[in-house]
Amino acid sequence: MTTETLLQRAGELLAPFAKGANNPETNRLDVQIAASDLPTAASALMNASWGYLAAITGMDLGTEANELEALYHFCEGAAVTTLRIHLPREGCPEIPSISDQIPAASFFERELGEMLGVTVVGTPDPTRLFLPDDWPVGIYPMRQDFKQEQAAAVEPDKTPERGWAGNKFIVPIGPQHPALKEPGHFEFSVDGEIITGARMRLGYVHRGIEKATEARNWIQNLYLLERICGICSHTHTSAYSQGVEKLAQVEVPERALAIRELVAGLERIHSHLLWLGVAAHEAGFDTLFMYSWRDRETVMNLLEELTGNRVNYSICVLGGVKHDIGAQHSVSIHKALDYLEERIRYYLDVATTDSGFLQRTRGIGMMSLEEAKRFGTLGPVARASGVKRDVRLDAPYGAYKRYPVSIITDDRGDMEARFVVRMKELLVTCFTIRTIVDNMPGGGIVTRFPRKIPAGETVSRVEAPRGEAFYYIKSGGGESPTRLKIRTPSICNWTSVLNKAVGHQLADVPMLIAGMDPCFSCNDRMVTVRRKSDSNTMTWSELREYGIKKYGPRK
Amino acid sequence: MNFPQNYVSQLMEKITTWARINSPWAIHFNSGSCNGCDIEILATLTPRYDIERFGIKLRGSPRHADVLICTGPVTRQARERLLRTYEQMPEPKFVVVVGSCGISGGVFQGCYNVVGHINEVLPVDAFIPGCPPRPEAIIDGIVKLLAHIQRGTRPALVIKPGVQEAA
Ligand code: SF4
Repeated sequence: MTTETLLQRAGELLAPFAKGANNPETNRLDVQIAASDLPTAASALMNASWGYLAAITGMDLGTEANELEALYHFCEGAAVTTLRIHLPREGCPEIPSISDQIPAASFFERELGEMLGVTVVGTPDPTRLFLPDDWPVGIYPMRQDFKQEQAAAVEPDKTPERGWAGNKFIVPIGPQHPALKEPGHFEFSVDGEIITGARMRLGYVHRGIEKATEARNWIQNLYLLERICGICSHTHTSAYSQGVEKLAQVEVPERALAIRELVAGLERIHSHLLWLGVAAHEAGFDTLFMYSWRDRETVMNLLEELTGNRVNYSICVLGGVKHDIGAQHSVSIHKALDYLEERIRYYLDVATTDSGFLQRTRGIGMMSLEEAKRFGTLGPVARASGVKRDVRLDAPYGAYKRYPVSIITDDRGDMEARFVVRMKELLVTCFTIRTIVDNMPGGGIVTRFPRKIPAGETVSRVEAPRGEAFYYIKSGGGESPTRLKIRTPSICNWTSVLNKAVGHQLADVPMLIAGMDPCFSCNDRMVTVRRKSDSNTMTWSELREYGIKKYGPRK
Repeated sequence: MNFPQNYVSQLMEKITTWARINSPWAIHFNSGSCNGCDIEILATLTPRYDIERFGIKLRGSPRHADVLICTGPVTRQARERLLRTYEQMPEPKFVVVVGSCGISGGVFQGCYNVVGHINEVLPVDAFIPGCPPRPEAIIDGIVKLLAHIQRGTRPALVIKPGVQEAA
């Protein structure tokens, strides 16, 4: 179906609820509905299999308008349908939950509640996901009149009521845990070795980047957003630049787009090899970890050669790219890819034949096509369950029309399939990079870019190594954005991990978590093990005293 | 034979220092970083940089560790956990900060959930600047720290804001 027919279909489905509708861009439909109609409207889309919930953007329109806005973005192919709901700013704005229809909505709803103070009625878990435990109640950072001083108050310790805990045995994992390279906290209730329930608390690396973008100008934001995540830094800058360029109606030179796709390809290789190593390490296969990280250095060399940096490449600028690619680069790229392709084939072989490894991956974390769709999974996790979802194909952006990629899916849906999909994706990526290098368009690499961006709003979607990254950008016509909403793929994939963990052995947990390649830093922009009020815990000073007694006084 | 006073305890001291600098175990704590520094730290462990040459091993438990490697600014939620991790480490312990945002807050200065840089929460022994620093720089920083430990001095930069007050 073409984008137009998709939008038309969405319009028909939503017609009974619509209080108004318009097309802000050719691929977008914006429908205003009443808050009470939200669950039925969401069901209408879901029942007709129209897309998936990509993000919920909460927005404060300010004290003058005295309104809040909640935008529910649904994506199907290149089409984006937004349900726009106006809520009163004063009192306690309420919105019904849609977690029944769409389980993945629950994280977004928690975010909406804690960031903007909207009560989501009926959401399964209203506890805090991002903000710290001692954050004062009733202070919402995404409100426009939020001041840093308001957050100074320290909320007394209150252990969130763990309704489901009962008298089950709970195994806490994290925030500091050897199996996690980043802090997140999980609680698994277990019956013997079998997991019966799972919960998660993020927020340990939540810095408040979305809010911070409003205080920085368009160019400064490029560097801030690059540091959302050091692994997919280029994804964020390219998604952001692409959106801002659309708003400013600036044509980016073809050559710059090609270079962006090329760097994105190299980034995908480095990210997947990194993941392969970490996942192998979780499976107890450290040799593979060391191998894959050694080979990853080949890509790191290339990235450094092309951009001057190993991690935050900083190659995107608004209106183009910073560095050109010359003939000498193409030689080294081909040479590096020759080596990498050979290694990737070897890894593919290991992942499908090594019997010790297969015991940890085959049949573990099975997710059927229906489940993958229902949980709203994205990226390689979804494709390993047979979901054909990839922004590079669904809504080709940048140079992806010129240099298309082929989609890799697998219908087995277990850990093994996730390995296979990622490795095959790397082979495809290598092929695409070669095509780009050999067929580079001529011309300049950057255009002039205005300081102020005309008022408007846009959606920018990019396929990160872990799945779709979704940006909603709103400009008020000034030097900095009015609202920037970032939805990264990891947050969508958590729902599936938490649900799929139930019924598995506790020992499979690291593999399950590693399987989705979680990235906390981009989620957070995320239960103390036990809060102080529990009797079986030590307070910090007790612990300290205990430590001093045990190890002797400080030298 | 006439041994100088405290001969045995001095000898023991020498042996422990020798052991410590030849095999410092480290723990890594991310208190709000972007991952950039973390992947570079991990890269130092892998074959190309191979920090194990210096006997350095990354441990999972703070109770096994001599060196706390911190990355990222300190977020409000992670602050208490960072302190807790630090307090669980046996004395003597050393803190190394990797990356600009751990040193000064970096790009995250002024974000509402960031309480500050690492040195506002813990006494730091070595700072390794860069966003992120290259693996070579990380190795260099740690080796410099080891040289200080060997000489029995702590690096000059240390400012001790007093962990007690932070409690
Ligand atoms: S110093 Fe830079 S690369 Fe390192 S964690 Fe901070 S922002 Fe990321």
